[in-house]
Amino acid sequence: MKKNMALMLSVVLLALSLTACSSSNNSSNNLKASSNPDSNSASPALSGDDLAFSKFPNPVDVHIGMVVDPTDKTLPEGDSVSNNQYTRYLKEKYNINVIVDWTAATGNDFKQKVSLTIASGKLPDGMVVDDRSFMTKAASSGLLYDITDIFQQYQSSQVKDIMASTEGRALENASYKGKMVSLPNITVDTDGVHVLWIRKDWLDKLQLPVPKTVSDVEKTAKAFVDSKLGGDKMIGIAGPSKNTFPYSTFLVSSNNMGGFDPIFGAMDAYPGYWLDNGDGSVTYGTTTDNTKKTLALLADWYKKGLIDPEVGTRDNVGDPINANQAGIFFGPWWNGGYGNGDSFKNDPTANWQAYPVYSDDNKWNVHMKTTGSTYTVISKNAKPDVVKAIMIMNNALVRDEATFDLSVNVAWYPLRNVMAAANETEYEYAELLKVLKGETNPEDYNKPNSLYKLMYADAKKVKDVIKPPYDDLNVSNFSTANFGDFQRLYSIMIGDRPFTTIPIDKKVFSVTYNQTSTMETKWANLKKMEDETVMKIILGQASIDSFDKFVKDWKSQGGDEITAEVAELLKK
Amino acid sequence: MLLPGMVWLVMFSIVPMFGILMAFQDFNPGAGLLKSEWVGLENFKYMFQLNDSKTVIVNTFIIAIGKIVLNLLIPLIFAILLNELRSMRYKKLVQTVVYLPHFLSWVIMSTIVIGIFGYYGVVNTVFGMFGFDPKLFMADAGIFRQLIIGTDVWKEFGFNAIIYLAALTGINLNLYEAAAIDGANRWQLIRHVTLPALSTTVVLLGVLSLGNVLNAGFDQVYNLYNPLVYSTGDILDTWVYRLGLQNLQFSLATAAGLFKSVISFVLIFISYRLAYRYADYTVF
Repeated sequence: MKKNMALMLSVVLLALSLTACSSSNNSSNNLKASSNPDSNSASPALSGDDLAFSKFPNPVDVHIGMVVDPTDKTLPEGDSVSNNQYTRYLKEKYNINVIVDWTAATGNDFKQKVSLTIASGKLPDGMVVDDRSFMTKAASSGLLYDITDIFQQYQSSQVKDIMASTEGRALENASYKGKMVSLPNITVDTDGVHVLWIRKDWLDKLQLPVPKTVSDVEKTAKAFVDSKLGGDKMIGIAGPSKNTFPYSTFLVSSNNMGGFDPIFGAMDAYPGYWLDNGDGSVTYGTTTDNTKKTLALLADWYKKGLIDPEVGTRDNVGDPINANQAGIFFGPWWNGGYGNGDSFKNDPTANWQAYPVYSDDNKWNVHMKTTGSTYTVISKNAKPDVVKAIMIMNNALVRDEATFDLSVNVAWYPLRNVMAAANETEYEYAELLKVLKGETNPEDYNKPNSLYKLMYADAKKVKDVIKPPYDDLNVSNFSTANFGDFQRLYSIMIGDRPFTTIPIDKKVFSVTYNQTSTMETKWANLKKMEDETVMKIILGQASIDSFDKFVKDWKSQGGDEITAEVAELLKK
Repeated sequence: MLLPGMVWLVMFSIVPMFGILMAFQDFNPGAGLLKSEWVGLENFKYMFQLNDSKTVIVNTFIIAIGKIVLNLLIPLIFAILLNELRSMRYKKLVQTVVYLPHFLSWVIMSTIVIGIFGYYGVVNTVFGMFGFDPKLFMADAGIFRQLIIGTDVWKEFGFNAIIYLAALTGINLNLYEAAAIDGANRWQLIRHVTLPALSTTVVLLGVLSLGNVLNAGFDQVYNLYNPLVYSTGDILDTWVYRLGLQNLQFSLATAAGLFKSVISFVLIFISYRLAYRYADYTVF
């Protein structure tokens, strides 16, 4: 009896829901027919931006998997991951229903979930993966939609410009075997250029000049440690934590807070990168003599107590920096502002400034990153409409990000994948300075669909955040009243200044930013050897001579084979 | 009434067993389990070629056996000492305090452990008073295993003692009285009454834990290790995690996992035989 009741109930419910669906379909159809010409078959076919922002006549369900930041508290009461201002915006403007199949917390949780999703072969319609190997693994397993044509058709002019600003690197990055299988994110080039962040206020107190070369850095760190300005636990140079790396690598080529990248660059060493020798051969940067010399130098610094004694074992390199115990750290442009935000809160006079580190013969060498590191992947089983919807979602984010109410973290935007022109920060730095000096007005930047999507919004608020004099910006020039604005503008004006204003002497790209086929099986082992050796040498647990043994083992355990494969790539 | 249970068993315990096939394939998620290419024992061969596999197996055994032995002995000693206390209130208080850590996850515990053994942690501060230089324990491969075993025992000994305490209440008080009349002192009471009464419990727990010998504790090691201590701290579970979920080598990871399961199965088999022989304990 109970069974029958349940059965009947479910039948009734099903019938109800069906009628509900169809009726809503009808009503929206009617609405569409009257408001939008594109459902009218007589009107000419849409193209360009009209197509890129077209509204679907019938609701399109997009199933996604999503990363969420469990510490984010910006969603208003009652809103949820699948019902918030962004999903409602997509529903209203484009008739796109976002259905969140699953969520996972940022970091390892999300990586694990993506990995399992790929292993099970059942991808949601769309998800944003944060590692290229996830994308290639899914692509090589035939799980991804070939979006080559749809993308050409549906990209907005803004997205097209941004893609073009990378000179084809973004498209290549998003492709697998010549087919475009994902939407790439495109981040600013400067993400890959790491600079020296230093407490200028402490330098001033000790009446020291800004360090320029590697030996200056050493002297300054020594002076910092001796001064104890940051208290008993004073750290000269903060270093990588257990979640960051001693240096960026070809697979993770940017945004490495706390790594020693600028020091390696100043020693003309590019560990982790595949270097083109110019004669058709390649070398893995970690195995070079310059890397060995730099490691010896770092080991010496560690021994002298200039580097954080807890380097490599901390949970987060940001901890000592935010506690104002560290005088120097290395990182990309946005690390001053975002990575060390609490440092300013704990000490408003913490005047973090960014500078390049020069080699002893006064050259600024930097390693350059790949175009982006996250990818929107689309399941092979997605319906064409769903794929189009995902393109539109991307276009809409790029166009409207600056107009959203950002008090709700934009990370809640479904399938958010950052697309910024490769030179956005340089452009913004220069233009914002003009706005500050009164040479231009914010309204000059009120250009819809601009390649520099956040420029207008930033121009409008820059004068509220930055106070004169504008020639030499210090933390005292900034207002932290709106901390979000402060972080963004501090990063651009201080963090990006070196990259924008100082010519770089040598830009080093990796021959490849991807795994070759042998790497898929052997890289994990080689990388483990590398991590272990490098950290042990820096911490003085292994002598510098163990480096030679590492190189030998590395080569014999697959390194030579992989090097040959990378050299092959060079020929193409 | 049996049906729901059977369905559950089939769905969640038997069907997933077919996943093991992955270990013998070059698994391709797009093709699925049935159509992926068969490679026989390739994955196993490659696994044993890797230098890591030996390190990892050795680490797993050492850490697991260390934990098993100490997790038997320390709670035993603790329970006996606690039993000798006269004040009931003090006894309860101690018991409550020591079993609290059991309820914290390793994510939280690892922060505490790092707080204690970190460069500026309690241990280094105390050592500093005696003129020793501070040491970075968390990055020292030489003591990482001891640290793992020690902190695990610290976390669990209070909780593990509960079984012994329960067994202790089962001892006939007349035995103590009789022994006391015969002139036994406290130490002799422990030795001749308490310990023999507890011996079967000890043997039983020891034997049963054999089946766990390869579970050296993923949570704990994962939260505490770093590349500097891979050589002594990396265990089968963390290795499988890195291979499978971080490097997407699904087949290799399954092979490593299966290898672990087979050894565990053998050990469980042996332990049940031993349990039957020495403690007269059977499940079936």
